[in-house]
Amino acid sequence: MTERRDTGLDPHEVTRLAIERRLSRRQFLAATGATMATAALAACAPPASSTAASQAPAASSGGGASAPAASAPAASAALGDTMTLATWPNYHNPDVIKAFEQQSGVKVNLTVFGSTEEMEAKIRAGNSGIDVVVPSNYAVEGWVADKLIQAIDYARLPGFKREDWNARFMDQAFDKGNTHTLPKNWGTTGIAYRSNKVTDDIKSWKQFFEIAGTKYAGKTVIVDHQISSIGSAAVGMGYSLNTIDPTEMAAIEKMLSALKPKLYAISSDVQPPLRNEDSWLTIAWTGDGVQVARDNADARYVVAEDGGELWIDSYSIANDAPHVAAAYAFLDYILTPTNAALETTFCLFPHANDKVTALLDPAIRDNAIIYPSPERLAKLEYAVNATYNSPLRAETWARIKASA
Amino acid sequence: MVAASTPVAAKGRSPAGPRGAPVRLLLIPAALWYLVFLIAPLVVLAIISLGERATNGGYEPALTLDQYASLATRFTPFTNTIVLAFGGTVMCLLAGYPLAYVLATRAGSWKTVLMALIVIPLWTSFLIRTYAWMFILGSNGVPRLLESVGIDVQLLNTPFAVLLGIVYNYLPLMALPIYVSLERLDRSFLEASRDLGAGQVATFRQITLPLSAPGVISGCLLVFLPVMGEYLIPVLLGGGKTYFLGNALADLFLQSRNWPFGSALATAFVLFVLVVVGLYTWLARRLTAPGREGGVL
Repeated sequence: MTERRDTGLDPHEVTRLAIERRLSRRQFLAATGATMATAALAACAPPASSTAASQAPAASSGGGASAPAASAPAASAALGDTMTLATWPNYHNPDVIKAFEQQSGVKVNLTVFGSTEEMEAKIRAGNSGIDVVVPSNYAVEGWVADKLIQAIDYARLPGFKREDWNARFMDQAFDKGNTHTLPKNWGTTGIAYRSNKVTDDIKSWKQFFEIAGTKYAGKTVIVDHQISSIGSAAVGMGYSLNTIDPTEMAAIEKMLSALKPKLYAISSDVQPPLRNEDSWLTIAWTGDGVQVARDNADARYVVAEDGGELWIDSYSIANDAPHVAAAYAFLDYILTPTNAALETTFCLFPHANDKVTALLDPAIRDNAIIYPSPERLAKLEYAVNATYNSPLRAETWARIKASA
Repeated sequence: MVAASTPVAAKGRSPAGPRGAPVRLLLIPAALWYLVFLIAPLVVLAIISLGERATNGGYEPALTLDQYASLATRFTPFTNTIVLAFGGTVMCLLAGYPLAYVLATRAGSWKTVLMALIVIPLWTSFLIRTYAWMFILGSNGVPRLLESVGIDVQLLNTPFAVLLGIVYNYLPLMALPIYVSLERLDRSFLEASRDLGAGQVATFRQITLPLSAPGVISGCLLVFLPVMGEYLIPVLLGGGKTYFLGNALADLFLQSRNWPFGSALATAFVLFVLVVVGLYTWLARRLTAPGREGGVL
């Protein structure tokens, strides 16, 4: 833990930390066999002597802020003594959580999920005891419509400053005016490959799907997630990431079904085969890209120039949250730029608040995998609720996976 | 529950006679267990299977058989599962029977050690044992060794790897029941068979095999049924390319969030399993009980 307080975070250090700390969320999904698991964050928390305050100046060196707590919710009986956060594996900095617990007197129970779909299954069943939940963008609209999450009362987030946030990630179609959600971190869906094996200079999804079944047959992986895999294939064929047009979908199905026997795997656990070169080429998410590329000099992560998926995981408060006051206190605390910067330094996914980005170590801020260039970002699309919800998408994916 | 069962118990022809009522009371926990953990979930499953998928996923009450009408769309995962479950059971039997035979008849003082070697792996997580095979079958494992003798082959993420995973994980469930029936086999039958002039093969076919049939039968059921519901092995060793019913179900509840269709598929699956078990026990009884000297036990 202590080495994280060194002021100059060198890139390799960042990687090492990422690898040690951040089992990828997809790996987690596979490892839990798609059942949810509960992890006690306390297990990896630092010894009691290292408070968040003592480490803040280091990790937020860029901005020179001195303490993690900008707005300190006074410990009060009104907050209660516990709350539950449903989130992704290794997504939160234990120091930040610990500092919040000490300051507010509220113990944070972490429930960890490998996918938004699992969070939804839990929260839709009702009575989950979850207070704060971090869904991906495509699920939000349905959750709002079905009243699974509640409207945010901004009066209860005194530290929130809308002008600090990047317009590319705020006020999006899935939650106009951010009435129900605020971004935790965002990321991309791109192409990861081993350049010592893959000699092509990969630039687009079109190229990816062409070489996947020919030159690199038996060495390519696509993720087990219809939004990302069907979506990327759609982009490669010149359609929208969000297509649900029957003709276009039929063409995609034909292409992917023909590709399937030549794939190494359909699996969201993309890192292990890429690391030991069982696979050379794969669809991947930002976190996989950061970790594999920093650990293997020849590994590349590319945001395709013909488009692809841009995603945001957002904080929201469950409609039946038992500890609403604590939830607001938590959000106000963790969205404070200094704390959010500590969170981002830990999880290595980009942040949507420009103030937070400014506070990051240059090694993170200037990393093109974490923060791709604005030109590449411009063509990316968010997956929408209709895509997530489409029976045609779901059935097509099931047929592709079942095909011989 | 208590009030209702007492008068019934009084009339019952329990062997405990006058003490029948307390005995019935003692049965209540078991009855509750069946009701809460077995019957109730099945009823809920059946009810949801008659509903419709809500607009944003999940369940909306309805009374329709639409979900059952689309069961045919999951025919491929169904056949995948049947073929590999059947193949896995046969392989387990072929590997498990000799293993059990050696353990029961030839192991001598090694018996305890060999037994422990079969049982101890069961103490570690199924997930970890399956993960280990990913490394053994991955390109840095067995294929690398084969490469050195000029054989280039991909093992991981193939139906073969799935089959291997099934045999590895379920072998103890096959071997142990067979072992038990072979262990209890009365040696004097074997001696009598020899005395009457039967050779080793004839003795095995006419004495040992029929007498160990109960073990074989329960072993086959213990392997076939859980493999039918297998989810993890196709994901980890099949690379998601071998699509089982279990995977189709997980996708329906998670990715598609189509609870009614998922429930219909699960209900159909439970019914199918009941039919299989019914047929199997009927067949097993015919094979082992009548007209055969020695019979069952």
